[in-house]
Amino acid sequence: MIIKHSDKIASPQLIKDSFEQLGYICSDDIAMAVYLACQLQKPILIEGPPGVGKTELAKKTAQYLGAELIRMQCYEGLDEAKALYEWKYGKQLLYTQLLKDQLGDVMRGAKGLDESVGRLHQFGDIFYSEEFLEPRPLLQALREEDGAILLIDEIDKSDQEFEAFLLELLSDYQVTIPEIGTIKATSKPIVMLTSNNTRELGDALKRRCLHLYIPFPDPKLEQQIIAVQVPELGDELRNDLVNFVSELRNLALKKVPAVSETIDWARALLLLNVHSLDHDWIKTTLNLLLKFQDDIEAVEPELHQLIQKMRR
Amino acid sequence: MQKVLGDFIHALRHDGLPVSPSETLDALNAARLIGLKDPILLKSALGKTLAKSLPHQAQFSMLFDQFFALQKPQAAPHEQNEDADSPLTPAADSVMQPQVDSNAADASALQSPLAQQLMSDDQIALQMAISGAASEAGASQMQIFTQKPMVTMRIMQSLGDSQLNKELMELAKDDHNLELVTQLRNKQDALRQQVRDFVEQQYLLFSKEKGTQLREDALQKIKLSNIDHSQYQLMLRLVKKAAKQLASLHSRRRKVSKRGLLDVRKTIAANAAYDGFLFHTKWKSTRVERPKVMVLCDVSGSVSRTARFLLLFLYSLQDVLPKVRSFVFASELAEVTDDFAKQDLESAITGIMNSRANMPTDYGRALQDFQELAMEDIDNKTTIIMLGDARNNNGDGKSQVWQQVYQRSQRVLWLNPEGRFSWDSGDSIMSEYSPYCSRVEHCSSLRDLTRILGSLLKHSK
Repeated sequence: MIIKHSDKIASPQLIKDSFEQLGYICSDDIAMAVYLACQLQKPILIEGPPGVGKTELAKKTAQYLGAELIRMQCYEGLDEAKALYEWKYGKQLLYTQLLKDQLGDVMRGAKGLDESVGRLHQFGDIFYSEEFLEPRPLLQALREEDGAILLIDEIDKSDQEFEAFLLELLSDYQVTIPEIGTIKATSKPIVMLTSNNTRELGDALKRRCLHLYIPFPDPKLEQQIIAVQVPELGDELRNDLVNFVSELRNLALKKVPAVSETIDWARALLLLNVHSLDHDWIKTTLNLLLKFQDDIEAVEPELHQLIQKMRR
Repeated sequence: MQKVLGDFIHALRHDGLPVSPSETLDALNAARLIGLKDPILLKSALGKTLAKSLPHQAQFSMLFDQFFALQKPQAAPHEQNEDADSPLTPAADSVMQPQVDSNAADASALQSPLAQQLMSDDQIALQMAISGAASEAGASQMQIFTQKPMVTMRIMQSLGDSQLNKELMELAKDDHNLELVTQLRNKQDALRQQVRDFVEQQYLLFSKEKGTQLREDALQKIKLSNIDHSQYQLMLRLVKKAAKQLASLHSRRRKVSKRGLLDVRKTIAANAAYDGFLFHTKWKSTRVERPKVMVLCDVSGSVSRTARFLLLFLYSLQDVLPKVRSFVFASELAEVTDDFAKQDLESAITGIMNSRANMPTDYGRALQDFQELAMEDIDNKTTIIMLGDARNNNGDGKSQVWQQVYQRSQRVLWLNPEGRFSWDSGDSIMSEYSPYCSRVEHCSSLRDLTRILGSLLKHSK
């Protein structure tokens, strides 16, 4: 897929500009990571607080490069069968039942066990062939003719064992299926792994990936993001809104509002036809930004002060 | 480029960033793509390939700035010249021109190579010469700061400073050359400053870690009771580091699965969909139980310092040892688990030590208190750790309580900060307790602590 799109990934700046046209405002760092991932054919490990657009980055990359996005959500207990491939047991069973008579024909006239088994061997591994293989996201990504964007979401939620299993895929873009053999990627996919840091990832995994940390955007960048996502919002309101959120992020809260929450809030204010942020409006819509009652209770008495800071 | 990057990665490793050879290759490839012209782009690209976590990113960013500031002296004079030139009017420029020419004419008459180099203003060649001389002078082997002036001098020498001085002396005899001499002297001073900066950078990059490493190694072995305030902060960091190492070692593999017995019930349930054919096998898995730990610390004078570090260590292991209950005693015993829950580690420990330490020890009393407080909660999954020197001021040791503790619990560890030879000497009644301990260990340094707690975690599997 690299050759097909070599003009699209000519420089980090180009990627940044093109993403902007697609409605994804990104920092130079992010563009650089995507550029390097494409050019060096390395997976990217994306870390950052929830809601800063980690998953969105993969979606936009897929959209931009015109490749298919294959997403795999990780969770505790995820294993090879769900991630890589599975045999279609039902189909195998059904076929053995249907083919019973045929088998009888084949076996007819065979003398002794040895000969019967010998005849069966002539047919090869019928029931363990590609037709009975149910490809799961990882295998799909490897088989995609034009290459794909493989998004391995929240890798930190999976088990240690699964992380180790991913190593072969990430470094050589191949997987091994005992019954069939090693399957190599037809066209190397671009792999993006996201992590919320619920646990420390292994060094071996980190070593194989480029590392990208997406922090909360600075107010200027966030204003751009809001401007693109909610274009109908007035300039002044947008300014106030972004300032208010960035003030909130300075407080010690259980969960600080992320970009996605800012966007939700902006949409809500638009819907409510609010023209300027005042104390009452903020108070009534605070639950869009803060997701814990404790946080809301902590912020409410500070509102006047926060609004003053916001206006400054 | 390879050399510069190689040096940089070397410096990163010295600062404690784990950079593997494959990452080095990635960085090289990235640098090749980006080029070395734009430092901001380069920094971002190298950061992606070399620093793989947030703290590492910060460290990387700092080192990058430090390291490549070193390259700036090459570029800066050129920029300055250009900057200075551009606002000048053409007239002023033409005044400048002949001056430069006359300089060049004079310069050709100069004898020593260094003087020629200085006059030709070729910063890149000069920088190259400095780097070359520096490696000869052993700049990267510096360990202590007193070596800096010597290395600086050696570099100046090998650049040909003495020849330059000699020539300057001779030139100074002639009044016509006055202007040239002052110019050369200025340049010489600038060069000296440049070399000094260079050496400073090299020292920062290459020696810092060696110094701390030496100190850290020494601190590992030193007796905990001998650590004074100046080393306390460093020690805190070391304890946390050791705890993190242990935690990451033992946080893996919580399940020992897929070994041992077939779980018939689960297997049948899982295969009900396949008409009873047993496609999926389910195995009985055992979960590793995290040990419940109760720790008793003697905080009377002699033991209190070791106790401080033991508590610090245990609570830094929160990830793998979530169920720690702690008790401290001198004469009376009290539970301090809540103190740790409420405040941060260090202030909690300091508070405990201030309020309870410096009282005469009474093990009998303390054990009785422990019996009332916690005996009921001890079960066969509990590990008891006692830290104390068993110096009971000739009182009744109440070892029968300790026997009961031993019988109820899974394991009893007694850590004694005194060496084995002084056990049972004076008022120490170690031998009264030691029959009722799974292990008795001498524990006085951080290394001992790491070893003992490591084995505690290992045995819990």
